[in-house]
Amino acid sequence: MLYRVIDKGELPALVNAFMERYEVVAPVKRGSKYVFASVADAADIQLDYPTTAASPKKYFMPARETLFEFDAVANEVTDFAEEVRPRVLFGVHACDINGILNLNRVFEDPRYPDPYYAAHKNATLIVGVSCMPSEFCFCNLMDSEEARPGYDLFLTDIGDKYLVSIGSVVAANILEGACDVRDATDEDRIAFRATTRARQDAFNDSIPDVQEIPMLMDAFHEDGFWDELGGRCLSCNACANVCPTCYCFDIRDTLDPGAATGRRERVWDACTSPQFAMVAGGHNFRPTPAERVRHRMYHKLNGFLSKHDRSLCVGCGRCAIACKVDISPIEVLKFFDRKGA
Amino acid sequence: MGEIRTFAEGERAPRVVLIGLASCFGCQINITNIEEHLLAVLGQIDMAYWQLTSSAPMPDEFDVAVIEGAVTTEEAAETVRRARERAQCVIAIGACAATGGIPGMASDDLPGHVAAVYGEAAPEACGSLREPVPVSAVIDVDYTVNCCPIDPMEFVRVLDAALYGSNYLPVTSVLCGECSRNEQGCLYQRGQMCLGLVTRAGCGAKCPALGRACNGCAGLSPDANVASARYVAEKRGFNPARIDEALEMFNTVQLAAEGEE
Repeated sequence: MLYRVIDKGELPALVNAFMERYEVVAPVKRGSKYVFASVADAADIQLDYPTTAASPKKYFMPARETLFEFDAVANEVTDFAEEVRPRVLFGVHACDINGILNLNRVFEDPRYPDPYYAAHKNATLIVGVSCMPSEFCFCNLMDSEEARPGYDLFLTDIGDKYLVSIGSVVAANILEGACDVRDATDEDRIAFRATTRARQDAFNDSIPDVQEIPMLMDAFHEDGFWDELGGRCLSCNACANVCPTCYCFDIRDTLDPGAATGRRERVWDACTSPQFAMVAGGHNFRPTPAERVRHRMYHKLNGFLSKHDRSLCVGCGRCAIACKVDISPIEVLKFFDRKGA
Repeated sequence: MGEIRTFAEGERAPRVVLIGLASCFGCQINITNIEEHLLAVLGQIDMAYWQLTSSAPMPDEFDVAVIEGAVTTEEAAETVRRARERAQCVIAIGACAATGGIPGMASDDLPGHVAAVYGEAAPEACGSLREPVPVSAVIDVDYTVNCCPIDPMEFVRVLDAALYGSNYLPVTSVLCGECSRNEQGCLYQRGQMCLGLVTRAGCGAKCPALGRACNGCAGLSPDANVASARYVAEKRGFNPARIDEALEMFNTVQLAAEGEE
């Protein structure tokens, strides 16, 4: 890996250089929260944000996306161009970068490559930024504390400087052109190590580190714990909407007024939705909230792991914040811990 | 304006009637608010009866009956039964038709409300009053456009679904999830009690996005967890009974039905 160092004061210059050719999307303050949004002024970027309300997933698979347009009378597809504005996601945390890597595994599966996802991904650069964990963060327990691949640049805060890990030539050229870039010294590397240490020490240690989750999932499959969670689930899907790795979708055809033309759209769906597992004829494979919540946790903590050797959950903690009735993987980890895991 | 679907020679455009029952007529008015699309929408159908725009009487034959308003009289019940017999498809529009809505607030004690408003007896012009109910309590309804008032584009979508078919599945998830997509923050954190916890999703959480709490006009979701919502409200410092009280505005009829179980 190539490392360079820039002064923190040079950050606006870097952002401005990106703005010349890209839409810059970054964390900004909205009310008491932070959100990823398009920015016009580098000064609006809040790089020391704890987390954003929803994840940057929306820039790879929008909540509602037109797949193609059609002529309903002639029964013909008229247009399926996917035009994506070149974009930089600036200030993405390691958990979200790992979340995007998980999405890549799904949408870049060579058996079913997704051209819409690919169009977004190919038009997007990612500039990561180091962070300190907040109360609900547990990326350290989900192997997502560090972004190894998955970024074009990654900025690690080392006091009055950033240690910049370089992941792509395109971004390196923009960095070189915009900033006074210096080689990293041993002192910088030691400062980097201190930053990592400080982060590791700052995780909420009331969130237990549980090993062998797949085995525990099976062992406690019928436990009343799932009924407790289901009993309080509101069936709102907020967990899935804010999640960086929930990627399920529904497909709908919508006619334009006049009904002669229309569009096929992909919209976010979620296994927590009551109708998600309903099939033709009306049978629902998961009719109760308990079954739906359990299914979600299985996929987040277990199902993806067995297929891709990674937990789908990256421990970003957004669902724990978004859920009004305290249902989250944190509760599941605590449950396993109580069971003597 | 989009292109308008036309019909082959010998084929007639589907005949649509719009029946207004107990309501403020606001949902009908809202349909006229999509000026930009109105000609396209009306161009594909034979709009045979619409009191708001014409005094021509309701024809005997039609394909689609769009019904606004709650059923509050025996006469209205008879009207919707007749509509059901004649129409291949019935669409209920607006909170009054879908949940009983505002008229439904009177369903808990009709004689008491009548006495409070009219004294000893309601005037003859009121018709034979009965406990207000949604259209679906009297006849089978094929499609529903929720909310007070309706989103006219949602009406257009549902009308098209009725005329040409659709792969939309009505959802019963509640509004909090849609609200989370807007990333405007939760109104409970700003000290407002919001019914998004139990109200059917689908409107896009427009009101919370504008800083106004959801008042439940899309109706209580059949999958709503009201007990859990009371718990959330209480945790945020509200008397949990206020959830039930707030639900009375649009959901009195459904709450009463649940109470009977």
